[in-house]
Amino acid sequence: MSTSHGTHHHDHDHDHDHDHDHDHGDHGHPHAPPAPDDDDHYDRYEVLLQTAIRQLLDEKGIITADELHRQIDYQDSLTPAIGGKIVAKAWMDPEFKKKLIADPLKTINASFELDITTPLDLVVLENTPQVHNVVVCTLCSCYPRMLLGIPPAWYKSIDYRSRVVVEPRKVLAEFGTHLDDDVEVRVSDSTADLRFLVLPNRPAGTEKMSETELAELVTRDSMIGTALALNPKA
Amino acid sequence: MTTTERKVNDLGGMPAGPVCLDEHPSTLHEKRVDALQKLLTGGKLQVFTSDAMRRAIESNTDEDYKNMLYYDKWIRAVRDLVIEQQLLTADEIDQRIEVLRQRHKETGSL
Amino acid sequence: MNAIEPRPGHALAAGTPVVILKKPPEAHCRTPFYLRGVKGEIAEVRGCFRDPSLLAFHKPGLPMRVLYRVRFKQKDVWPNYSGGPNDTVVADIFEHWIDPMPGAKT
Repeated sequence: MSTSHGTHHHDHDHDHDHDHDHDHGDHGHPHAPPAPDDDDHYDRYEVLLQTAIRQLLDEKGIITADELHRQIDYQDSLTPAIGGKIVAKAWMDPEFKKKLIADPLKTINASFELDITTPLDLVVLENTPQVHNVVVCTLCSCYPRMLLGIPPAWYKSIDYRSRVVVEPRKVLAEFGTHLDDDVEVRVSDSTADLRFLVLPNRPAGTEKMSETELAELVTRDSMIGTALALNPKA
Repeated sequence: MTTTERKVNDLGGMPAGPVCLDEHPSTLHEKRVDALQKLLTGGKLQVFTSDAMRRAIESNTDEDYKNMLYYDKWIRAVRDLVIEQQLLTADEIDQRIEVLRQRHKETGSL
Repeated sequence: MNAIEPRPGHALAAGTPVVILKKPPEAHCRTPFYLRGVKGEIAEVRGCFRDPSLLAFHKPGLPMRVLYRVRFKQKDVWPNYSGGPNDTVVADIFEHWIDPMPGAKT
């Protein structure tokens, strides 16, 4: 068994970040079991299954180890940071924003010299003072992975998928997000091949900030719609 | 909760609990599952579609659907579909799993 | 955009009042239960796509079907909706799950 995945060594810690208060005794749902950095030493059935399939496909030349590594590296390169840059540019440049909304992927590829190809359609949902967008996939976990990477576990959870369409404001409150009653909270349920990127409102007091500084205010959650963009530090 | 009208995955509006905001960085296992399904559904190989992945995941019982880990549902769906599309057989997968189990028992590693 | 435009005159216009059908779901169904039988309006025509209920079974998914973004008032979706009065939900629904409301111009 090759150890050539050494380049993928992760030195993240596996402790869950328990800085919100609820009793983990009655979670009622499983956390991922703690996994070692190197899952070659881990014999849970699904890890064995993944390893078996991966090895067989490599041996038959269908998906080589190299191809898999390249795909993982590509996946790793997709993070909310690029989304943040796109939002910051849209805030600063009205012409870019117009083009972005009209043809998102083409505009993103051109402006950021990317080559994102996908059979899916990316749609930009612009927040306004009157409309707050939030995205879900009630039927599975559709998410703009081609841009933002892997969705957070909560987005894929039974609880989020069940509740955000019926009580979005209560769910948003769990994220610390509150909106005036007269604002239209517009939940987009990704039921087909469209993928949604929320363009959050530009926070007040940011007029003098550079595009780079603005990008740092744009969180992943603000591009899903469960949060607002961050306010500038006082 | 499952009816013929509302499938196991059709969750919109169902009663549920607080959203758990815990996150962990993707493990290598999870990344491998993700990458495998991406390549198998991708334009080059097109062994099966993402729609087929969803359909396979939807064939779980209500209980399994709710309780199984996300990537466990994915890798089991990948297994079902590579077999359905006759890319691999159930036997060769099962046999390889046994080899890996044995190797792990003897050496602590797969 | 990857989608194919519907043939002229073959799609409901944005703003058309519609109702989502109540019918038995396909073996793989992308029309959520909570929206079936609910009235809304066409928010956007998103072009023609292959039918996911057929793609799920390795079929080509033809003929392509028109996909709409349909917007619903939350108070029309949930009898006891307790959020904001202007709140909405928008879902991406295929033409064969939609009927224009009686009297609507098509």
